[in-house]
Amino acid sequence: MAVDLGQMAELLIAGKVDEVEKMTGQAIEEGMDPSDILQKGLIAGMDVVGQRFKACDMFIPEVLRSAKAMGAGMKQLRPMLVASGAKMAGTMVIGTVKGDLHDIGKNLVGMMFEGAGFQVVNLGIDLESQVFVDAVKEHKPELLGMSALLTTTMPKMGEVINALKEAGIRDQVKVMVGGAPVTEEFAKEIGADIYGANAASSVDKAKAVLNA
Amino acid sequence: MTFRTNYTVNKTTRFRLLSEDQKARIFRGVIKTLNDTGANVHHEEVRDILGKNGCKVDGKRVRIPPEVVLDALASLPPTTTLYSWDGDEEMCYVEPGRSYFGPGPTPPNFNDPDTLERRPYLRKDATTVARVCDALPNIGYVQSLGSISDVTNGLADVYEFADMIQNTRKIIMNWAFSVENLADEHRIGIVMAGGEEAFSRRPNFIHYSEPISPLTSDFDAIGKCLYCAKHRIPQVYTPCCIGGATVPATHAGQIIVAMSESMVGVVLSQIVNPGTCIIIGGVQSILDMRRTIYSYGAPELGIMSAAFTEMLNYVGLPMYSTSGCTDTKKMELQSGIEAAFSIHMAMLSGANFVHDNGYTESGITGDIFQTVMDDEIIGMSRLIGGGVEVNEETLAVEEICNVGPGGHYLYEDHTMKWFRHHWQPTLMDRNSYEDWDAQGRLTMKDRIVNKTRDIIENYEGPASRVPEEARKDLQKILDAAEDRVRSQS
Repeated sequence: MAVDLGQMAELLIAGKVDEVEKMTGQAIEEGMDPSDILQKGLIAGMDVVGQRFKACDMFIPEVLRSAKAMGAGMKQLRPMLVASGAKMAGTMVIGTVKGDLHDIGKNLVGMMFEGAGFQVVNLGIDLESQVFVDAVKEHKPELLGMSALLTTTMPKMGEVINALKEAGIRDQVKVMVGGAPVTEEFAKEIGADIYGANAASSVDKAKAVLNA
Repeated sequence: MTFRTNYTVNKTTRFRLLSEDQKARIFRGVIKTLNDTGANVHHEEVRDILGKNGCKVDGKRVRIPPEVVLDALASLPPTTTLYSWDGDEEMCYVEPGRSYFGPGPTPPNFNDPDTLERRPYLRKDATTVARVCDALPNIGYVQSLGSISDVTNGLADVYEFADMIQNTRKIIMNWAFSVENLADEHRIGIVMAGGEEAFSRRPNFIHYSEPISPLTSDFDAIGKCLYCAKHRIPQVYTPCCIGGATVPATHAGQIIVAMSESMVGVVLSQIVNPGTCIIIGGVQSILDMRRTIYSYGAPELGIMSAAFTEMLNYVGLPMYSTSGCTDTKKMELQSGIEAAFSIHMAMLSGANFVHDNGYTESGITGDIFQTVMDDEIIGMSRLIGGGVEVNEETLAVEEICNVGPGGHYLYEDHTMKWFRHHWQPTLMDRNSYEDWDAQGRLTMKDRIVNKTRDIIENYEGPASRVPEEARKDLQKILDAAEDRVRSQS
């Protein structure tokens, strides 16, 4: 029996990570079009999740479960989508800058982007500028996300942007910054492309900039 | 007066959430967490000290056995006194049953007193906050409500403390980016006290720093804790725990994590300098799972802070609690409702230092107007917390019989003596409709703004009494800090 993509979407909405993963595998085995699996299964489910979250019908832990299910499905689909030349959300590299050990906000953002179909490379916390530069060179992401919670470490995000310029790769990637004390003005001042006020809205903003 | 044997008196409102069994269970959770899992400590010297004193060190991980925790708790001071910088007045006693309310540290923004619009926090705001807090009778200690944006990067903390201490005699709870900056602030405290010896006898500030949830002491935070312990500076070592995100979503679980991560600082301080004052607690609230906001107005903040206060009473530690704050952006009904709830919970629980009175926008914007409103709420809450005094005099049976049925008490000496104990509002409107109308139909917001601006314009703070010599010495400390930052960059 053919895999029911509508059911896959339902399972994704319900946050059934293992089942979505298994079903994606089955659908691939059955020879279904990877774009169909992505659009009618995973993305169809995440669209509903996004709407429900905005309407306050779903809560963050539930959304993150669904995002994790999306990530599990994408992991299998990605190589096939790449091979077929289908349009995908792309890759995001994310980390917390030097001197800052705060983890949670950055992880939340990473998980939300995973839910939006991005391949997320989470570099961790307390990172030297060079780590970001190397990661951009290695993973060639469309998007680089940086976070700082402390007013002392905020300027480090500007230093990373400068390091990208010095390495000659600033224009290869869109830079997004966030963290509780970070403001839109600050983001502009240091030359970031996107200011993420919170996890959910940064996905929308990033998509808008990347699709522009 | 009649002698009474075994007579129990409630002097204040009694408020209990947890039973003895519940407290013991939570404490065993702390002991097990520290023993089995411990915390990461990003500071080699601190790990060395802890390792040599009974803790088990494995890489960055430090596990603390029960006996080490109990020894630390046994060596805490029963009381610590803090003084005004001129040394003339005992301003705070860190001991059970004493509650001091104050603002909080470091939001990036400030609600401009003239325009009432949010903008980055400026150097002049630190002086404003100190002066207004000095004038407010129910504000017991002072924090800045911001992080200065218009001085040399990395010196906001030092400028803030240098400016604030000259503008209030109340105890300031300062913060620092680094141990170097804390040392500058220590020098400022010494200058204001009139020398090192005078400062150690009469400390005039409490230092605030934060471990990171879950169970992490970063280099700067634990380094500052170590510095305070070595120099016997009273300190706060408290995390901001986010229920459901950095700690469990259950309140008991949250208290276990919060208490465990602060206990690293308690143990360190008592090993380094037994009897030195350390206060724990912090912001205990939840992640709003719809908006991903760390809520400062949630009722969970009130109940968890009260339960945590009881836990710390149970083990003999003072509580740094939270109140008077709001998630709203503008002065409105929500700010008053949220502030009143948390202030009253903190008051009735008997928390010792209660911060964030004046936080709006979930801790992103400091607002001195909110502090002024909170001052009024604290006054009301304090009256309720004070309970009902019951003795021959207050029972007034003699007066009741003298006046008898149908009379009145307005002429009575007893009334003359006692009516001044009634709480008097400074912001609450009790006018008749006609008077209210004639006075321009002022709302609570109008009255808060008027009172605040009146203090800013007219209040005579202690700044003019700072000796010229001390002022020069403070400037030297600031200049040296500037040189240090220049040489580092």
